[in-house]
Amino acid sequence: MTEVLQVALLFLGCLFFGLGTLGLFRFPDTLTRIHALTKADNLGLGLIVLALLPGVTGWAVAVKILLVWVVALVASATSAHLVARALSAGEEAGSD
Amino acid sequence: MSQERHRLLTIKPVPVEARDVLYRVLFAAFLWWVLSEGRADSWGFGVLMALLVTGISLGLFPPVGPRLRWRRLPGYLLWFAGRSLLAGVDVARRLLAPGLPLNPGRVTLDLDLPDGPPRWWLANSLSLLPGTLSVALHGQQIEVHTLDTRSDIAREVEEARRRVGVLYGEGTSP
Amino acid sequence: MTLPMALASFWLLTMLGLGLLRIWRGPSVADRMLAAQLFGTTGVALLLILAQSQAQSALRDVALALSLLSVLATVAFLTRVAGNPPGSTDD
Repeated sequence: MTEVLQVALLFLGCLFFGLGTLGLFRFPDTLTRIHALTKADNLGLGLIVLALLPGVTGWAVAVKILLVWVVALVASATSAHLVARALSAGEEAGSD
Repeated sequence: MSQERHRLLTIKPVPVEARDVLYRVLFAAFLWWVLSEGRADSWGFGVLMALLVTGISLGLFPPVGPRLRWRRLPGYLLWFAGRSLLAGVDVARRLLAPGLPLNPGRVTLDLDLPDGPPRWWLANSLSLLPGTLSVALHGQQIEVHTLDTRSDIAREVEEARRRVGVLYGEGTSP
Repeated sequence: MTLPMALASFWLLTMLGLGLLRIWRGPSVADRMLAAQLFGTTGVALLLILAQSQAQSALRDVALALSLLSVLATVAFLTRVAGNPPGSTDD
């Protein structure tokens, strides 16, 4: 039963990673691509982390992969904000 | 010298309290336990590192203004997890719909949240919530980019702002 | 769980390859930076899966380091192109 759930979560995770990448190509400009990438990929990573949780070898490892997820969330949100801000500053300077 | 040290933060630090030190030591020790994957024989070095990390973090990032209420964190995270799941589904829906239903634009909203960590929490959270991406914080305002200007962005931001406020000790826990 | 994890790894590797295509096509510098962000999350997912399926716990540390470095990459990149705003088309 757990295995079925794990495979389902893994599949859903991969699906959202696929959508994030699709967004990179299908969305019209950089800012909308940031939306797609940030939201879809972090959901994908979260689902994959949940899929891996039942298979870990101890509590510390479980917390570690959750920590990796949290760090990746913060990293991704920070990168997204920095790129968006730089883009916005570039436009205000009239160089776009 | 002290001005030089605080260049990382544009806000004035408040005096360090005993609980600041305690929480940071505990957090560093927790990180050590996680990073060493629970190995008991590494704790001699681990305790030393936890103390060192606490010292460095107090030097680089002294406490500023309102403190995070740790006991309110689970409630925030639960709400955040639900909303960010919706954010992913929302992006997926727009991406897969044949007409690519987007109406991107920027919105600038008033923001009365204290400067520093509360604002960083809000800005980073917003980028993972449905339809919003934080672009810039200017003074008492926040500029967000949205996938659809017809959706109720102000309400989304207001809700997130209220939750972050509660996390930093505003009002009572819902 | 071995086969699903192998398939998932292969899929994520494909996504990384497509990310490279975005870097190559651009057109703006910011688009290239996004692909680095993609590497940050997809690479992390790939490493976490491999750490479990290959029983290599060190790969989890690599995953952690990779996600931390992806922010630094963005910061370094934006600092470097400060005189060449990321909104403008790269040559």
